[in-house]
Amino acid sequence: MSVLKITDVSKIFAGPTVAVDNFSLEVANGELVCLLGPSGSGKSTLLRMVGGFERPTSGQMTIDGDDITQLPPERRPTGMVFQSHALWTHMNVFKNLAFGLKLRGLPQDQIRHKVEDVLELVGLAGYGARGVNQLSGGQQQRVALARSLVLEPKILLLDEPFASLDQHLRERLREEVRDIQQRLKITTLFVTHGQDEALAMADRIVVMRDGRTEQIDRPDVVYRDPQTPFVAGFIGTMNLIDGEVTKGRFTRAGLALDIPIPDGPATLAIRPEALDLEASGTGVAQVHRVTDYGTHGLVDLDLGDGTRLKAMVAHPDLFSAGQKVNLKPQAMAAYRDNARVYRS
Amino acid sequence: MTDAAPAAPRPLIDSNDSRRPHGLLLVAIPVFLVAWLVIWPIINAIGRTLWRPDATGALGFNLNSYVFFFSDQYSINNLTITLWTTLVCAIVLLAICLPISLYLRFSHGKLPAYVQAMAIFPMFVPSIILAYAFIRVLGPNGMVDILLNSVGLPKIRTPYLTPWGPVIGLVWDNIPLTVLILLSGLGNVANQAIEAARDVGANRFQVFWHIILPRISNSVLVAISFAVLGIFSSFTLPYLLGPASPEMMGPFMNRTFREVNDPLNAITQAVITFCFCIAFGLFYVRSVARNQGK
Repeated sequence: MSVLKITDVSKIFAGPTVAVDNFSLEVANGELVCLLGPSGSGKSTLLRMVGGFERPTSGQMTIDGDDITQLPPERRPTGMVFQSHALWTHMNVFKNLAFGLKLRGLPQDQIRHKVEDVLELVGLAGYGARGVNQLSGGQQQRVALARSLVLEPKILLLDEPFASLDQHLRERLREEVRDIQQRLKITTLFVTHGQDEALAMADRIVVMRDGRTEQIDRPDVVYRDPQTPFVAGFIGTMNLIDGEVTKGRFTRAGLALDIPIPDGPATLAIRPEALDLEASGTGVAQVHRVTDYGTHGLVDLDLGDGTRLKAMVAHPDLFSAGQKVNLKPQAMAAYRDNARVYRS
Repeated sequence: MTDAAPAAPRPLIDSNDSRRPHGLLLVAIPVFLVAWLVIWPIINAIGRTLWRPDATGALGFNLNSYVFFFSDQYSINNLTITLWTTLVCAIVLLAICLPISLYLRFSHGKLPAYVQAMAIFPMFVPSIILAYAFIRVLGPNGMVDILLNSVGLPKIRTPYLTPWGPVIGLVWDNIPLTVLILLSGLGNVANQAIEAARDVGANRFQVFWHIILPRISNSVLVAISFAVLGIFSSFTLPYLLGPASPEMMGPFMNRTFREVNDPLNAITQAVITFCFCIAFGLFYVRSVARNQGK
């Protein structure tokens, strides 16, 4: 069993810049947790602190109850896969993988056996004698993953491992990595700024912003039930409309919807797929552009004040630019003071 | 009326044959100067020491000056002290410059900037100034002696006019270039490669030995080659700081030519010095080529 527990961890760089602010998280045995956030949200700093490459300013980190907060990287039971692969180009694939095992003093035949096994696991059997520069980007990333896995770490740390790969390869590799992670049941912390990756791979997603946690939940919950307007806007496509609520009615540029919350400013959030359109000569919005993706259509709309909205429609041929439409949200949420105050 | 065809954009580098002589002309002067001032004197020196008149005045192949050099104990001693000085300087330079470069590469803040400035400073001090500064500090009745005397301690055995004098001077003189070359090599070692090594369990020494050193081996070769070539044929510092006997090849050649008035043996010494330098150079080229082949 390997459980990673992060308690009230902060990291303040000289400046002072608060990279991570009082962060807490518990990653269960065999769980894959994604740290998701924009650049500068502190997710990589947090991962580097777990790996031992940065020391926290305050807080504690434990693995299976053992305090690792002050341990150097070489003494932590973690394995990290870096964004740039960080393979040692003066060594071939076998030597890259065997290096850590040699440092642990394992006998040669055991090293060979382990390296061959892990190469098989990542689909690179027979590649041991190759130079790392002779490999493609995807193969190099597999070697980097194998180098971490061969040491059987308690916690696997992935720092945007697919960022340097093309879209097709990225999708294939993330499935492979997820398969391997589930097969080995290895506790994994995965940093990414790609929401697709997070939604596709994670058991839970931690959405980070300015070093703080915005929301921790299962991917489907984060998508369907965002707790803050930032999460709502960051995950997937979301129509965020700032307006005013008066006597239980939200209004903005002709758009009026019943939202039973106290009077005051509010931000309305509607997913494009939850926004139905109804053609009407007196509609509150005007179609700006219709894009047909084959399986569905995306309609760009403008409210009277120019606020741009998006609606996903099954039959894009029913709409055309300049057409007036009324908006019929099937589901929506309202936010005030960075918290959700209404959901339908 | 016919439309004029739009003029094709002119390439930055024109591959037209008619323009090629311009490029050749540009390099012609430096090539001519190198041929005249470097290549020709080498060929001339080798020719003058190998094809000499015998007792009868007939010109022929003659190795006597080389036989004399390698059978003369004094010449052998001078060559030995030159090789010894070069070797010791190379080792001391690496021992000093590698830690400085590692510190500069992996440290941040103001202090490394000051250390770098101090390491580069000798580059701006002429050798002759350095030599006299050395004498005033470490020489007999120099600053160190005065300080020791003021606290009642005995004088030091000064390295001035011993083989260690040129070693200290040459090492000091070569620190900037060596640090700069090593630092440039270390700049190519990615932080993540080092972090990955630590991640798999390597301690600081293992990271240095297994990851950093193999990655900077070319830079070490370049730095040492440059230093060795300069030190082996150096003149000012060995002349001012070194012993009268044995002496390094630079002062030896000068003395043979000027004071002994023996141009033939001076040229022979120069050819032998050149041969050693070219051997170092070839070793360097071969090593770099082999490393790049890997």
